[in-house]
Amino acid sequence: MSVNAMASESSDVLVEIRDLVIGIQRTRKDRLLIVESANFDIRRAEILGLVGESGSGKTMVCRSLIGTLKRRSASIFAGTIKFDGMDLAKLEERQWRSVRGSRIGYVPQSALTGANPVMTVGKQLGEAIRRNRKRKEKDVRRRVMELLELVHIRRPEVVYDQYPHQLSGGMRQRVMIAAAITQDPDIVVADEPTTGLDVTVQAEIMKLLKEIRSELKMSVILVSHDLALIDEVCDRLVVMHAGTCVEVGSVSAVARTPLHPYTIALNRSRIDISTPGAPLITIKGNPPAVGEWPAGCRFSDRCDFVQQDCTVGRNPVLVEVRPNHWSACLHAERLGGTSE
Amino acid sequence: MTATPIGSGVESAVRAQEGEDGPRPQPTWEKVLRRTGRAIIVAFWVMVVAFMLIRLSPGDPVSAALGADAAPDTVAAARKALGLDVDPLTQFWNYLTGLFRGDLGASLISGVPVTEMLRTNMPVTLWLIFTSVTMTLVISLPLAMFIAMARIPGLPYLFRTLTAIGLALPSFLVALILLYQFGLIWQVAPIFGYDPTFPANLQYLWLPSLVNCVVLVPVLSRVLYSSILDTLEEEFVETGVVRGVRWNRFYWLYVLRPSLAPTVVLLSYMMGVMVGSTVILEIIFALPGIGRELVTAVTMRDYPVVQGIILVFGILVVFLSLIGDIVASLLDPRVRLT
Repeated sequence: MSVNAMASESSDVLVEIRDLVIGIQRTRKDRLLIVESANFDIRRAEILGLVGESGSGKTMVCRSLIGTLKRRSASIFAGTIKFDGMDLAKLEERQWRSVRGSRIGYVPQSALTGANPVMTVGKQLGEAIRRNRKRKEKDVRRRVMELLELVHIRRPEVVYDQYPHQLSGGMRQRVMIAAAITQDPDIVVADEPTTGLDVTVQAEIMKLLKEIRSELKMSVILVSHDLALIDEVCDRLVVMHAGTCVEVGSVSAVARTPLHPYTIALNRSRIDISTPGAPLITIKGNPPAVGEWPAGCRFSDRCDFVQQDCTVGRNPVLVEVRPNHWSACLHAERLGGTSE
Repeated sequence: MTATPIGSGVESAVRAQEGEDGPRPQPTWEKVLRRTGRAIIVAFWVMVVAFMLIRLSPGDPVSAALGADAAPDTVAAARKALGLDVDPLTQFWNYLTGLFRGDLGASLISGVPVTEMLRTNMPVTLWLIFTSVTMTLVISLPLAMFIAMARIPGLPYLFRTLTAIGLALPSFLVALILLYQFGLIWQVAPIFGYDPTFPANLQYLWLPSLVNCVVLVPVLSRVLYSSILDTLEEEFVETGVVRGVRWNRFYWLYVLRPSLAPTVVLLSYMMGVMVGSTVILEIIFALPGIGRELVTAVTMRDYPVVQGIILVFGILVVFLSLIGDIVASLLDPRVRLT
């Protein structure tokens, strides 16, 4: 079954990303591709994990969903992002205004720099509420309080008048989550929302994202390179490597029978703290640099199962190997069952 | 969406995790007061140094006034009349007590009270600084913002080159060129003179202010330009875009205000430097400012005048930097008053 058959599988698909190509136009002829083939769906009220090494294009895919690629001088060269009858890949800046915030919320990467340092918490949240409808000052304040309580901020009346730098990292990220869900969006894009937070706080933030999904029925895209975190909170998983989606499937299926050598390698390289002294397993080689991708499969250089046909021709595309489980490995059928 | 917290079960767990609310905001006035107290102490030391420097430098007012061949008893009488016959410590005490009565002494040469000189000449200098700073801000803020945000290839390079040239030009040269061009060729500015009343004085001040801009704009706009570039890299700018903030609020609250603190501190420092550097402009444009009086007083060893002017300059510099720090911390709460 081909990629195009993906959508027919489920009617609760919210966003459909097909053959997305993102890059930087350096000169008129010179294009630097960062994402070459992104193919996946976002379903209603699911937490979708997006994993991959740095430089795999995760963040760029996120930016394409909130329309801020231009700020990093990148743009979409081809492909579609279908969302509610619109193609986000072709939206004009003016049209984006009705999508951002109200339809798609965004939780920034770092709690440290994600909040505006010169505005109090109350002002920032109020601004997000006020933007579309004219609202009375009192109503805005009440709504902000509601939101702060919703994300479990203690003493919201104190936090309301505080500046972000006066809050702890965890609280700051809670505030950012509150800001993202202010206008009741369909999707919340969380780009590595727990960077720089300690593990216990990380777990709390994840818990909060899960609650948002189940209680508010929002879809969450969670970008991370932490597989343990993804396993715990996500329903489905998209694995990216060198600008390509290499495996898409439910978390349980991907964990049980990974169908791409890269996923297998990622799984194996987890740090096992239950057996002290166990050797650290790493993936050999470095992720190929943007623009220096090898011929054929991008993972062929680093793959343990590499065959002759892997290193020639074009980068293989996603194929539905098992029901609802896609892999971009030419030999995925043979990998099935090689789980850890 | 409902008002009830979702999954209230985690509430207690959250409480256990985060415990503290973080540092409470401290009353700002307390910090301002502490900072002001320190500024006053610095101003006092400026005065002490001014007193000592002029007395330690060679030459004295009596020989300057009477000439080198004056009879010894004429000199002694003159010294007594000027209060210079006692030891420096007593002189300092007399000076200090006079200060608290609002008496800065009188010129040894002309006999005009120093306070009187300050009252007539100081406003000219202050006006010159004020108009220069206003013009600098009006030019620098939009300029730096435009160049940082326009993303026009080659523009930042042109900007750096031009500002480097502006920085390298000595201000007396710029003053002469502009005076020649605007005053003589185009005849759109008066060549010299001053009118102390408010709207009329601007006519005499805009050209010297423009000269100051040639040096100030490059420094200020460069600092602001690089702070804006840093701010644009920050994630909260992205958050602001996604939040859909209106453009005018966006430029002010998400771009300019978080970038302003270093510029404000620099500006207050440069205003202090200008207090001294306006002397050149006052001389070239024949403005009756206090800087000119200071230069004359130093050459004449006119102790009370030098002391008085330096004291006022010192206080001015100290308090300008105090105001700069306070404004910076009001604009950007991350800046700490220490």
